[in-house]
Amino acid sequence: MSDLAWSMSSKVLAGILIYGGLGWVLDRWLGFDAIFLPVGVILGAAIALYLVFVRLDRSSSPEGRNR
Amino acid sequence: MAVDLAVPSFDPECHLGSGCGFPAPGADIFFFDPVWTFTILGIEFNITKQIILLVLVGAAVVGFFWYAFRRPALVPRGAQNVGEMGYLFIRDGIARDTIGKAGDRFVPLLFTAFFLVWPLNFLGILPFAQIPVTATFAIPVAFALVIYFTWVPLGIKRQGVGGFFKAMTMPPDVPKAMYVLLIPIEFVSNFLVRPFTHCVRLFANMFAGHLLIATFSVGAFYLLSASVLGIIGSTASFVVAVGMTAFEVLIQFLQAYVFTMLAAVYLNDAVHGH
Repeated sequence: MSDLAWSMSSKVLAGILIYGGLGWVLDRWLGFDAIFLPVGVILGAAIALYLVFVRLDRSSSPEGRNR
Repeated sequence: MAVDLAVPSFDPECHLGSGCGFPAPGADIFFFDPVWTFTILGIEFNITKQIILLVLVGAAVVGFFWYAFRRPALVPRGAQNVGEMGYLFIRDGIARDTIGKAGDRFVPLLFTAFFLVWPLNFLGILPFAQIPVTATFAIPVAFALVIYFTWVPLGIKRQGVGGFFKAMTMPPDVPKAMYVLLIPIEFVSNFLVRPFTHCVRLFANMFAGHLLIATFSVGAFYLLSASVLGIIGSTASFVVAVGMTAFEVLIQFLQAYVFTMLAAVYLNDAVHGH
């Protein structure tokens, strides 16, 4: 998993973009200024960090070292 | 065939105190007038300094390695030594280290990537060339797309469409409900953000490095005048420009290495799964 260090930033970026974007769309749709956008940004970052932890956990466990 | 070599906004009369203001180099120093323009099938082609350098570098790299391995001897000497060092650096240092034994078959691709990107970066400090070709965004984009359209079809071929996308977007040992939230992130980060960061990392480093050197070089020239501030400032700026040039040598190698290493990481995902 030498890949992990490099993909961390892109995962967090992707999380913020997707869920932030989703929040922005919800705001437009429901007529708010910015309620779901910040919620989406924080949620996206949190989910992305969870994803990084999951990947990290697997790569550092003995059975994860398959190469 | 006159190739425009000078910094476009360069004025030899402009110094501190002559009232012209500091001619800060901007993005315009990366754009050169086309040397030759022609049209094929309604598409206009502009041959600029970067394109000429790209072709020259390609020819020089092919020429060097052809020369190095023209009569391979068991005990290598001279150019063959250098060529083998380069080959082993890519094979052992990047391909086998990242992909494992299966990486051997990707050595030609990775070798080509590294020994194109590095010299193209190096042109940034080569006298008379003095422009990193990789600081033209289209060039790293083209390289990154070649890698992208290698590892994605390869992954589909090796693991099947379902298997490949499952490996790339569904991390194991995760509660099933989380997949709804995770799959979009994994998909965007692995298939959309990845090729983007792959080329932007190279482009931005070379662009910024070139701009830094140009700024301090122009600064040293601009500050050169008969005053204490001028002499001290000009000397300091020149020293920084020289230091930046030395630093740039390191960055050029490092970015070529990172670009190749990431290509190997992506190929590994295609061969072994994410």
